[in-house]
Amino acid sequence: MATTSKNMNVFYRQKKKSTTSTGKKSTKSPSPKHAATFGSDITQPPALVSHGGSLDLKDDFDEQEQVLRQFDMNMAYGPCVGITRLDRWERAQRMGLNPPKEIESLLKGGKVKLESLFDGRV
Amino acid sequence: MEVDSQEQLQRKQSTYLSLDENFEIQKEVYRGQQYSQIYFARLHMMRTLLYSLVPNWKSHLPVCTVLELKEGKECIIFGTLYKHMKLKPCILDEYSKERSVAPLIKPHNFMHQDDYLVLEDESGRVKLGGTKLSPSVYVTGVVVALHGKETSAGAFFVEDVLEAGLPPQIKRPLKSREDKYVVFVSGLSIGRSSSNPLQFQLLVDHITGHLGDEEEQGLAAEIVHLVIVGNSVEISRGLLNGQNLASKDQSRLCEPFKELDILLTQIAASLPLDIMPGSSDPANFALPQQPLNRCLFPGSTTYNTFRSCTNPHCFELDSIRFLGTSGQNIDDLTKYSEAKDKLDFLERTLRWRHLAPTAPNTLGCYPFTDRDPFLIDSCPDVYFVGNQEKYETCLLKGLEGQLVRLICIPRFCETGVAVVLNMRNLECHALTFGTQISS
Repeated sequence: MATTSKNMNVFYRQKKKSTTSTGKKSTKSPSPKHAATFGSDITQPPALVSHGGSLDLKDDFDEQEQVLRQFDMNMAYGPCVGITRLDRWERAQRMGLNPPKEIESLLKGGKVKLESLFDGRV
Repeated sequence: MEVDSQEQLQRKQSTYLSLDENFEIQKEVYRGQQYSQIYFARLHMMRTLLYSLVPNWKSHLPVCTVLELKEGKECIIFGTLYKHMKLKPCILDEYSKERSVAPLIKPHNFMHQDDYLVLEDESGRVKLGGTKLSPSVYVTGVVVALHGKETSAGAFFVEDVLEAGLPPQIKRPLKSREDKYVVFVSGLSIGRSSSNPLQFQLLVDHITGHLGDEEEQGLAAEIVHLVIVGNSVEISRGLLNGQNLASKDQSRLCEPFKELDILLTQIAASLPLDIMPGSSDPANFALPQQPLNRCLFPGSTTYNTFRSCTNPHCFELDSIRFLGTSGQNIDDLTKYSEAKDKLDFLERTLRWRHLAPTAPNTLGCYPFTDRDPFLIDSCPDVYFVGNQEKYETCLLKGLEGQLVRLICIPRFCETGVAVVLNMRNLECHALTFGTQISS
């Protein structure tokens, strides 16, 4: 659902295959203000922005977050709901499950989400 | 008979070590976790343990998870048992559109012949078949290893079961000791209309040496510790219906505590005393119950011999390990399984190495994230449960030389019986107090 307007145009272009679609794009250059509509140039319409205004742009693309999500989903370390990632890592460490050290350094170091991927959603 | 004799009797002493740290929840923070965390901790700890026991049991069979089961392949699986019970009360029954004939008043035991067991691990669950595992013996929450194979119906046919068995016991230093006694009493239920204050006063007087002649007092001087195992007070239901209390009722609310405090002060002045909370005491509902607040006992807490303890309670006296609960765990087992007597339930919890396997399924429990505090790592020397119908005791012998004294402590309010244990040889006897003067 996080498709940009450019992607939407590509989609329509394939479907219609007529010259009018390219013409349509050229006439739409002044973009409307509220843009959950087609042909908009704004990449993230306001309706899709949550979490107090900070844009969730990194959601699908951040490699670090993907690694951490794999850690969340790994059954060997137990359920991930209701426990912070670092606590879960430390619990796995205490139980002798040898969780990968990179996860610990990621969690203690950079700007990653400390809560599991289901936090606030379940 | 001389009133003041030459020598003063000295009470014997013993070294006390509290091991209740595991049951305290002050450091725990609730972050919205669910009970899956405590089940994971339990499964992990028990599975590691059972895995180490499998080579001595059946070393030739492969181990696999529930999802890896193949039809006809004989293997060993580990997991938590879940017992599906037809009669187990379900919150959805209250919303059921059809009014069934079954009454909403719960029976004292929810077993049914159609109950079946399911084994569950992180990967999946499988229904258990065969006659080796009897659903009447097991309850939800026990972790076991099973040997068997998957049938064509998709169930797992159990050929053999491995329980953890009694935990290892730390050997007590064998030296000839003198007789030292520990007294257990439970279910005082002060505040109940049928409780007789004279009975408990008699007990207090006996223990503190105010009764009897020198010989009697000499016996009392050998009592080194008293443990009050739960349900010390009972507040009448009428005062707890959620309405604002009139000042007259407020003083009625406090009366049982004042009475208890007076009696406990007499005891604390004389010997060390542990008091555990029970189901009717003003402590939290979920296990592990936290110690009763010291404000309830203004007189007794001035003595350092007074200790308010958790339920379950674990302590050592002269390096003899005691472990016990106020009865909620055994009462819950009684509701969801059957045995020939309460000592059988006690023995089962030791063999399963878990104090309260039905927690958190049917027994209230704090949602721990990183551990299960009810796992029994080290076999106690004395294992007791309070608030039972009658006094029962037996000596349990383990395969590795463990020796445990199992004690069921009866409700003092109803029976007038306290239990006395001799620490030298772990022998037990009952101390009965009666106030009927027969003509």
